[in-house]
Amino acid sequence: MNTQLNLKRGIRTTLFTLMVILFMIVILLPIYYIFLTAFAPSGKLFTVPLTYVPRSLAIARFQDIFGALPIARYMLNSTMLATFSTIVALTVSLLAAYAIARLDFPGANLVMIGLLASSMLPGTATVIPLFQMYQTLKLMDTLHGLLILYGSALLPITTWVLVSFLRQVPVEIEDAAKVDGASFFPLLWRIVLPVIRPGIATMFLINFIIGWNEFFTPLIFARGAGVKVITMALSEAQVIGARSEFDVSWGNMSAVAILTTIPVFIITLIFQRQIVEGITSGVFK
Amino acid sequence: MLSRQNLSTRRILLAWLLVTPVVLWRLLTSVYPFLRTFYISFFDNSPVRRTFDFVGLDNYMALTRDANVDATLTFTLFFTVTSVALQVVLGLAIAELLNQRFKMRNFTRAVNLLPWAMAPIVIATAARWIFHQDYGLINDIIWRLSGERPLWLVNFTTARFAVTITDVWKNTAFLAVIFLSGLQGIPLELYEAAKIDGADGVRSYWYVTLPLLMPLIISMIIFTAIFRVLTFEIVYALTNGGPGTATSLLSYLVYLEGFRVLNFGYASAIAMLLFFIVLVVGVVGYGFLRRAWERL
Repeated sequence: MNTQLNLKRGIRTTLFTLMVILFMIVILLPIYYIFLTAFAPSGKLFTVPLTYVPRSLAIARFQDIFGALPIARYMLNSTMLATFSTIVALTVSLLAAYAIARLDFPGANLVMIGLLASSMLPGTATVIPLFQMYQTLKLMDTLHGLLILYGSALLPITTWVLVSFLRQVPVEIEDAAKVDGASFFPLLWRIVLPVIRPGIATMFLINFIIGWNEFFTPLIFARGAGVKVITMALSEAQVIGARSEFDVSWGNMSAVAILTTIPVFIITLIFQRQIVEGITSGVFK
Repeated sequence: MLSRQNLSTRRILLAWLLVTPVVLWRLLTSVYPFLRTFYISFFDNSPVRRTFDFVGLDNYMALTRDANVDATLTFTLFFTVTSVALQVVLGLAIAELLNQRFKMRNFTRAVNLLPWAMAPIVIATAARWIFHQDYGLINDIIWRLSGERPLWLVNFTTARFAVTITDVWKNTAFLAVIFLSGLQGIPLELYEAAKIDGADGVRSYWYVTLPLLMPLIISMIIFTAIFRVLTFEIVYALTNGGPGTATSLLSYLVYLEGFRVLNFGYASAIAMLLFFIVLVVGVVGYGFLRRAWERL
């Protein structure tokens, strides 16, 4: 009787472990394959069947792409756009979120619903007039022009999440500070900000990742090398030294893919909990 | 002394002052351009031909005759239904997996997030290599198992599945995270009660877990469906909408008409069609959601 139960439990555990392993393989193997491709010495890339164990690591691809493209500039642009759009969006979202969560005013609900509705407007349904506006206003090919659009995309969700974080925090401390005569900005800075720091940190991480990964906006609005970002280097790297349109350098593409991915992987692996909390608080509250 | 009324007027003023930057920013970069797209859709507007002529409903009439639009709508339907169904089922399964107690659970949860964190354009571009006929990862595995090497991106059906698989690989993590959080919110007493009634394993999942998760599942179906309709990068980098127009999606069509052909008027009409579809999905989905809430 007891051994039978143990056997049943054993089978269950084994099956479960197999599922976890299968899941890990499905996620990690394609990523590993891109690493393999990026570091494969040229000539070792096209083998049938594939060799899954690297014999040697070649960094020639990375030298090639850094030599042929302003990769450092692209990465700097990506970093700046992701960082500043995040900071600016968080700042103005926090102001709005505070008003919505704390200052019971007519129109608060309207603002919330309006933000949500405006986030449902597809980017492709706004891009043509924005393109025309940007040409008229000379904002094409400028970092501040991109910053406006990067930031805009972050506002609705950030405001929603910050409102939900603020609503979970008790109001009493703020009331006490108000009685003591603290005026608005010191109150926000000294009392509110420390309390919702986890929420801010979470949204900082998520927004940074979103900004770093942006592609459609720079594709349309950044055409000069000075303002291009790292996600645009993928297709450029593919054709370095290409002899025809069918001559695609998968190794170079993979090298850029790795450069683009490493920063977000580091953030995700370190701050897994915070990111999950951010994702779920946007949905549940 | 300030009167009560004065205080509340000041509070309202302050509140509006605080929401103004966000509201203005969104109005200028989202709401106004959207209305303007609607306006342009009634014009023949091309920067190449230097035209801005009112043409009434001509662009919309052209939509109904455009074979590309037909093909795009067909694939949009296929892609949305297939991808959402796979993502929801797999998302629920992965959430269940990650909800169990086991060694390296935290690491597994972090690994689950990796596809979510990667840029869509990276995944789409890399997928072209992964689906490569001779040297791609997928065909290597299929070849080892069956000796076949399917031509993923050349055939209609396989190309459609390649786009769908890539999308599912990237986006299921997000649903899994949300469903996991939903699972964690179900009180354990309910499972204990179900156990006393003789339900365990599959039955308790069917009678306790699923009904409680249902509003969440439905809202995630709406959300996921809307974002499938809006998908751009995967089609842009993996298939270019091909072979032919087999994997074309509306966002991609707007991009082609607007920024390759430079036909702003017609592209705006396509964009309005896209918006209309999103609106219908949202409204119909909201109806289902309300009914699910009432049933709880």
